[in-house]
Amino acid sequence: MLRFLLRRSLGALVILLVISAVTFFLFYAVPRDPAMLACGKNCTPDALAVIRKNMGIDEPVPVQYWHFMVGIFAGRDFAQGACPAPCFGYSFATQDPVWQTILDRFPTTVSLTLGGAVVFLVVGLGAGMIAAWKRGTVVDKVFSSASLVLSSMQIYFVGPLVLALVVYQLDLLDQPKYVPLTEDPAGWFLGLLIPWLVVQIIFTANYTRLSRSSLIEQLQEDHVRTARAKGMSGRFVFFRYAWRGSLIPIVTIFGVDLGSLFGGAMITEWTFSLPGLGTLAVDSVRNTDLPMVMGVMLFAATFIILFNILVDAAYAFIDPRVRLS
Amino acid sequence: MSAVSTRTARSALAALAAGVLFLTGCSSGGGGDEQSETEAKKQGKDISYSFADAAASKGPAPEVEGAREGGTIKMLQRDTFSHLDPAQIYVSDEISLSTLIHRRLTNYKRNKDGSYSVVGDLATDSGKKSDGGKTWTYKLKDGIRFEDGSEITSKDIRHTIERTFAPFITEGPTFLQEWMTGKGGTEARKSLPDGPYKGDHLPDSMLETPDDKTIVFHFKQPQAEVPYALAMSGYGVVSAKKDTKEKYDKKPLCSGPYKIASFKSGKSMKLVRNTEWDPKTDAQRHQYPDAFDVQFGVSFEDSTKRLISDSGENRTATSFTNSVDASSMQKVRSNPEVEKRSVSGYQSYVGYMAINTDRITDKRVRQAIAYALPADSLVGAFGGTGAAEMAGNYISPTLVGHKPTDPFGKIKNPQGDVKKAKKLLKASGKSGMKLTFAYQNAPEWQQFSVAATQNLKKAGFDVQKKDIIADTYYDQIGKIKNGFDIYHHSWGADWPSASTVVPNLFDGRQVQDGAANYAHLKNEKFQQEMDRIRKITDPDKAAAEWMKLADRILKAEVPAVPLQYYKTIQLHGSKIGGAYFDESLHDLMPTSLYVKK
Amino acid sequence: MTTLTTEADAPGPDRPGDGDAFLSVRDLYVHFATEDGTVKAVDGLSFDVARGRTLGIVGESGSGKSVTNLAVLGLHNPRSTEVAGEILLDGQQLIGAREKTLETLRGNKMAMIFQDPLTALSPYYTVGRQIAEPFRKHTGASKREARLRAIEMLDKVGIPHPQSRVDDYPHQFSGGMRQRAMIAMALVCDPDLLIADEPTTALDVTVQAQILDLLKDLQQEFGSAIVFITHDLGVIADIADDILVMYSGRAVERGAVREVLRAPQHPYTWGLLTSMPRLTGDVGEELSPIHGTPPSLLAPPPGCPFHPRCAFTDEVAGDRSCHRDRPAPPAGRGAACHLTAEQKHTFFTEQIKPRLS
Repeated sequence: MLRFLLRRSLGALVILLVISAVTFFLFYAVPRDPAMLACGKNCTPDALAVIRKNMGIDEPVPVQYWHFMVGIFAGRDFAQGACPAPCFGYSFATQDPVWQTILDRFPTTVSLTLGGAVVFLVVGLGAGMIAAWKRGTVVDKVFSSASLVLSSMQIYFVGPLVLALVVYQLDLLDQPKYVPLTEDPAGWFLGLLIPWLVVQIIFTANYTRLSRSSLIEQLQEDHVRTARAKGMSGRFVFFRYAWRGSLIPIVTIFGVDLGSLFGGAMITEWTFSLPGLGTLAVDSVRNTDLPMVMGVMLFAATFIILFNILVDAAYAFIDPRVRLS
Repeated sequence: MSAVSTRTARSALAALAAGVLFLTGCSSGGGGDEQSETEAKKQGKDISYSFADAAASKGPAPEVEGAREGGTIKMLQRDTFSHLDPAQIYVSDEISLSTLIHRRLTNYKRNKDGSYSVVGDLATDSGKKSDGGKTWTYKLKDGIRFEDGSEITSKDIRHTIERTFAPFITEGPTFLQEWMTGKGGTEARKSLPDGPYKGDHLPDSMLETPDDKTIVFHFKQPQAEVPYALAMSGYGVVSAKKDTKEKYDKKPLCSGPYKIASFKSGKSMKLVRNTEWDPKTDAQRHQYPDAFDVQFGVSFEDSTKRLISDSGENRTATSFTNSVDASSMQKVRSNPEVEKRSVSGYQSYVGYMAINTDRITDKRVRQAIAYALPADSLVGAFGGTGAAEMAGNYISPTLVGHKPTDPFGKIKNPQGDVKKAKKLLKASGKSGMKLTFAYQNAPEWQQFSVAATQNLKKAGFDVQKKDIIADTYYDQIGKIKNGFDIYHHSWGADWPSASTVVPNLFDGRQVQDGAANYAHLKNEKFQQEMDRIRKITDPDKAAAEWMKLADRILKAEVPAVPLQYYKTIQLHGSKIGGAYFDESLHDLMPTSLYVKK
Repeated sequence: MTTLTTEADAPGPDRPGDGDAFLSVRDLYVHFATEDGTVKAVDGLSFDVARGRTLGIVGESGSGKSVTNLAVLGLHNPRSTEVAGEILLDGQQLIGAREKTLETLRGNKMAMIFQDPLTALSPYYTVGRQIAEPFRKHTGASKREARLRAIEMLDKVGIPHPQSRVDDYPHQFSGGMRQRAMIAMALVCDPDLLIADEPTTALDVTVQAQILDLLKDLQQEFGSAIVFITHDLGVIADIADDILVMYSGRAVERGAVREVLRAPQHPYTWGLLTSMPRLTGDVGEELSPIHGTPPSLLAPPPGCPFHPRCAFTDEVAGDRSCHRDRPAPPAGRGAACHLTAEQKHTFFTEQIKPRLS
């Protein structure tokens, strides 16, 4: 297990390095000048030069990249103040320290995505189990067709619809907002309920279908039949044998979906005006804000890689064959 | 009133990303509540500003009818505030915020009759000029304090001006600095390269503070518009003692009726009463609500939906600068209950189609382009008459001296005069010539490009369309060798005078990469005329001359085709009172808002 | 003692159950509803097995051997399967029995060993746990008791170091050990009936022999009745007392193992024998596989289902036709074939036997 973690961590570092380099150099491939954006209306070439120097973009790109990477591990000094490691610098657009901004936005995105994930995993897997348990019956058919319809929905379509109904028309809930869990758990829950439900609708549908088909496949496995031949009850076999096996493809898909979940956070956050990492990413690209783009990219990548390692660990937990080979 | 080239680039991309079809930025005009009728009447008429005396500059400001104290107003904003240091403020979001937290020497004030005055804010009046306009003297009021209770003295004003010379101040206005030193932007900085931070000060020949209450500006040339310039948010007062340089941008010392209780960039800001602010010293501002709760990251679509719904906490919500998005424009105008809760008016921007005079040297070809372009399709693309108005000339109706002239019949023939265009192009012998047309790939410009291309083709041009990614658009057209023949852009005045429009757009001495003279017009005669008008000390007379010059340039050279005057509609919840559209701010005025019972 | 009545032509289905039989299958029909039509997987089958005896069921894939035994355990999908006839386990009717009743019998009174121990054991749980599960369920033993029992069973089936191997997962076992574990699991509750569905097919020949020996030893110890399904006549010769040859869901020949192997009566059995390689045969000697493919169970051929592949259809005399008339199933020793007993004897001794030695 230790070797596994070590190997994966090394791999992750390489991936992050590649991502950082690609992002950094791609940023400069776009013909845009962040200094130009920061320079006022009565901008002059000299003023531009000053801004470039302040931003640290007056040096050759590889040198800038080197400074940036060194800054992450050793910290840097800026006009706005010292920036201890991990230092991603200060935002070009808002002068905010990048790392603090990311840490500040992170809880929103995590609450949104992981909270949503918990809901859709529980509801989706639950519905899939019911459908598989009652396969061929009316219940199964209703669940299956409903999930088919719902899985074709999009957040940016369902979101405003739910908002319009629940908040604007019926006035049942307040505008979605992020309240830190540590401050007010009830507020946190109610504030994110609508976004969760909306994210959940789409993913739940997908996971219902996945869980159902995976379970049905598992129910046809030889070892499930063996368990029944041993006299184990249908329920026991379903939960102990078939369900566990059915989790493997689900975990795989979930690992893949994590990336898109964070990508989707952008849309969800925008739809509900929740200031998380997704909107931060969009804004930073929009504002040609290199330090912020780099910070968010690397942070998100780290997080996704970390989660993929966790997913792999989950495999080992579910399937002993992975554990020992 | 904002850095148009950069701000528009940013916001247009934002609009694209958000699926919003509208521009941010300044806005002005009338409409909404009890004001709507008078504002509507006023539109299209001459706007007037007067430089007020000490009596008119005295506080407190007349009470807003029905206003009461208390409550919290929620402000829904799309973008976070990038700058809180007054010297870095140049865009409408922060300008609007600064009305609540920063004070300057002068300020705009709307009078009961709907006219506007420039009044003394920290100063006792709008300024006393002498020496033919080369010297301007200001006296400070009594009882003016920063939020920490320290009195605002002439030392703070000196510091405020001197620190704009420091290298870290990059985004604010540079007018005073240039006038005092008599040099252009960068050269001017060399008079005080480190700002006041190393003990250096501007010589008395530029800035004098004989006592704690008196500030004297000395300019190299006579200046007529000093009260306007000093009313810019960029000259908001900074404490000499509590200046933290770069860090001041996140934690400034406030002098207005509100101070910053907390600021979480990108998420929220809380403004609470500044108890050190004395209403008796302020002719314009009020302090009705207990607090303002600003939420960032709310798209125009979202804020519009929330405010239309008027549900729950949205009843006490409005925005500094979020306007109604284009797709909801019709909904707002067709619903009387919602329209009642709207304010609307002109933004400071005017949209132009620049013609690259380096490439299109034949005036008849430029005239043909001017006649051919359809103005109505652009207004339609932007969401109709609530979002824009067809422009007949270069000067915005928000500027003093504006006349509704229409030399190319842009308003008379909103679909464009293709016949006349064809004739002119034929006469030039260039029928069938290639015409490279660059535009932002935002939906509204794409929509317009179709109609424009159609007309230009009918007139005999071989149109080559260049669809340019919104966020690189201004970088590309800003290059002198951009390779395009025609391209749209917009420009807004810094104060209600065309002196910050005509020279920026058409002074041949200002042709350089990234500058606003996108047409690259170089005309000695007009440049001399600009210099002459600048020396006129009567603002109204100067305004009339700018208008005349603008029309002369349009008729004689056609360096750009006027397209539209941008407008905007803003909404507020039903429990908010005192909302009106301030024509000097070009936005809803935050200082008069109150929470209804 | 597997009882097969000696009257060659007695109609099977009507024959009353033998008192000795522990498992008695009568006139069993198993039909699956599929989208293409009804699959007649078992089409009128009867047999008996007594305690301590082993019945070998032989046939090609799809002949209905496995389906028959799944039906005995009641493991078919009730929604798409139609089962008719009688299955008596120790006199108890299993067809139509409640699921709850079947659950108490499965793994307890009757157990099954599957063909591929790799897929038939769950990869997610330890071998010990899988062995202990049915023991706990059927005997109500505690976790500890069940674990001890699992170790005991592993020891009994010849797994070395059972105390430690009990906590291993199936994938940590070799193929032969897995099958031993599987057998341990099947025998953990001392079942009276053991159904072994090709338990050695997936194994090496040497391991095969060990497993067969193990089964024989265990049978002696426990005295269970065994139904041994295979397509390998060699294995049958080794382990079974009686043989039932199945073809197209029916019994085509049955009898004591010696009788059937020495003097087979059905052309299909002849085919099976001639298609089997022998160690004593020449290396160059060609095998003669049965030509053609097993018949479709959706639309079995009319008459004798084997007739499209049979070389002797022309020899049938009288008004009986292989193409039209379905031969009666054998009740005791005998074969479902229209050839006369004489013909069967002649053809076997003259044409088939020489090729077998």
